[in-house]
Amino acid sequence: MIEIKNVTKKYGDIPAIKNITFDVNDGEIFAFIGHNGAGKTTLIKSIVGIHKFDEGDILINGKSIKDDPIACKKEMAFVPDNPELYEQMKAIDFIDFICDMYEVPQDIREKNIKKYAKMFEIEEKLNDTIDSFSHGMKQKIALISALAHDPKVLIMDEPFVGLDPKAVFDVKEVMNEMVKEGKIIFFSTHILDVAEKLCSRVGIIKKGELVKVGSMEEIKGDESLEKVFLELEG
Amino acid sequence: MKKLFSLIKASMSEGMNLFKINKNKKSKKNKAALPIILTIILMFAMYSYSEGLMGLLAPMNLGYIVLTIFVMAISMLTLIEGIYKSGNLLFNCKDDNLLLSLPIKRSTVLFIRVFKFYIFELIYNSVFLLPCIINYAVHIRPTASYYIVSIFGLLLLPVVPILISCIIGTFITSVASRFKGKNIVQIVLSVAIILVVLYFSYNSNGLVDGIVQHAESINNTITKYYYPAGTYIELITNFNLLKFIAYIAIHIAVFALTVLLIGKVYFGINSNAKAVQKKKKAVKDYKVKTNSPTKSLIKKEFNRFINSPVFVTNAGFGLVLYIIGCILVAVKFDSFAASIVQTGITIEQITNYIPVLAFAFLCFTAFMTSITSSMISLEGKSFNILKSLPQKPAKIVNAKVLAAICIMLPCILIGDLILFIRFKLDIISMILILIASVLLPLISETIGILVNLKYPRMDAQNDTEVVKQSMSSSISVFIGMAMIAITFGALVGAIVAGLSNIIIMLVFIGIFAIIYGLLLLLLNKICDKCFDNINV
Repeated sequence: MIEIKNVTKKYGDIPAIKNITFDVNDGEIFAFIGHNGAGKTTLIKSIVGIHKFDEGDILINGKSIKDDPIACKKEMAFVPDNPELYEQMKAIDFIDFICDMYEVPQDIREKNIKKYAKMFEIEEKLNDTIDSFSHGMKQKIALISALAHDPKVLIMDEPFVGLDPKAVFDVKEVMNEMVKEGKIIFFSTHILDVAEKLCSRVGIIKKGELVKVGSMEEIKGDESLEKVFLELEG
Repeated sequence: MKKLFSLIKASMSEGMNLFKINKNKKSKKNKAALPIILTIILMFAMYSYSEGLMGLLAPMNLGYIVLTIFVMAISMLTLIEGIYKSGNLLFNCKDDNLLLSLPIKRSTVLFIRVFKFYIFELIYNSVFLLPCIINYAVHIRPTASYYIVSIFGLLLLPVVPILISCIIGTFITSVASRFKGKNIVQIVLSVAIILVVLYFSYNSNGLVDGIVQHAESINNTITKYYYPAGTYIELITNFNLLKFIAYIAIHIAVFALTVLLIGKVYFGINSNAKAVQKKKKAVKDYKVKTNSPTKSLIKKEFNRFINSPVFVTNAGFGLVLYIIGCILVAVKFDSFAASIVQTGITIEQITNYIPVLAFAFLCFTAFMTSITSSMISLEGKSFNILKSLPQKPAKIVNAKVLAAICIMLPCILIGDLILFIRFKLDIISMILILIASVLLPLISETIGILVNLKYPRMDAQNDTEVVKQSMSSSISVFIGMAMIAITFGALVGAIVAGLSNIIIMLVFIGIFAIIYGLLLLLLNKICDKCFDNINV
């Protein structure tokens, strides 16, 4: 379970996110939507321990990211919006590096790397250096690295940007598979159709404030998510 | 013209982050203090050096020779550094795609790259040259024309060395881009060309022997063969308006011509440099290898190091010179000793203190090599990967120090071994030198990582901006120089006091061990906070 409690993060004197509170339960796919600059990435980076926040707390399965960041990070995986990977490394070495950091046993990483590399049709490229990859291929490597250590919580910032349609489909399949196992998927997106079809709950952020959070039915009622979002943002 | 100014402004606002500390006023004051103090110390040291020579030469009306020597030394330094900087500053920059997509001439893009390079060198040259120019004015009390010529001289003197290094850098990148292992080729070519330049400088060292006795002939040789220095000296001693205008015009023309010439081949080479050699056949059988987190972090750092030619050349050059120096001392010890004997020191005194001299040489190499001072900055935007990992910042930072030690230690040990064999040192001296071989790099690299944690540069356009033009690398070099000066001074004092080799080395190792302990305490104290404060 992710518990976000009264989180405020400021850049200088300007608050990027203000007093945000909500929970994401086990077995949920949670979409976080908002305009550019609304504070989505700031919150995501706070959850995964990249940013320190000024007020409040974030608990991952009961552990505070402030007090015990290592234990929290071990439960999570993060896929950034713009995968800045180690360009001079071979793709397989990068995935291995991430697995080493999570201390993933050899048999589990072999199984997972094989499974996801095959799924994303990138097996033949794993021996190439990352600097030869397109944005989408880098995104796939970031996804494989994230999934290779069987995270309980998967946090993704705009995960579908740059992916080909087949990969988008596969990522959605992986997400569904993970939530069936009781894991949590938390992601930000601009693609409202995907959010509407895929997610059980959604949060809408506007100028750093959470303006609406709830189940998809609660949020949109009889209307489309797009219409609700535009009305709220307008 | 408006476009050009906008481009220069945008380019400089990115490149000049070296001089932007922080938006927070308090933090800005704190962080600016150290670099400002170090710059003042360096400028004061330059002033003192020039004063030493000026005091002897000015009474003989030969004060201008000090300027000649300073101009030549700084031009050589700019050229040598420029050779391995230029390839990275001109080619394969992160903003290539943006600039090349704009409706501007391609030669304008190259001009901006060279101009940015020039501005940085101008700033560095000024730190070294300005004290000497002021010192000359204090001693000679020249006319107003001296100040005008010197202002223009300061602006124009970096031009020729950087243009020569741009041509050499373009040649190296052009050759290297034709090979599959372009980074290795680039490193080998850069080191080879720098060694050739150093060889010729070394062979011309005879010029500097007895600087006062041969002052005029040194001056005549330099000014005769090197137009920028020669004309500058001629103008300050005998001002001529026409020659002054020609001096400015020639520099501007040479700058424009060189940009035009490199521009003819620039874009072809840039495209080749960017091209990544892909494997002909797809390989399915990748290997999955499990390592401990620390080993994996060290491997990652090593991979980053060897794939950056400017990083390897910058850090590795001192280490290669250490080995070459040890070989030279071993092979040519008798001739070195003979030249030192002329100064009044006996051959017994030299041979008695060989372990301490080896210790001093080691000190020089260790403190002039700072690999870690760039390691945080070189992460760039991928620093977020490290921040999101389930590993303590201290472990990540210590892995960087260990990686640097792994890079330095083999070269240092080879040098040590050569000295041990040649001079048949006693076992205690050998053990003490071996301890120092580990301890001194540890101190240097811990200082480097501390400085880089405090002064990270995460938005560089290329590796050169981090390795050669960042606040962190500059501060580390200054601290290294200060450490060398203090250590050498103390070593000379200990030798003069007649202490034995073993006592001297034991005392110094003891002091260095305490310094290292204090540095470790400081690193543990500030590591987490600094790590968290780095936002990309």
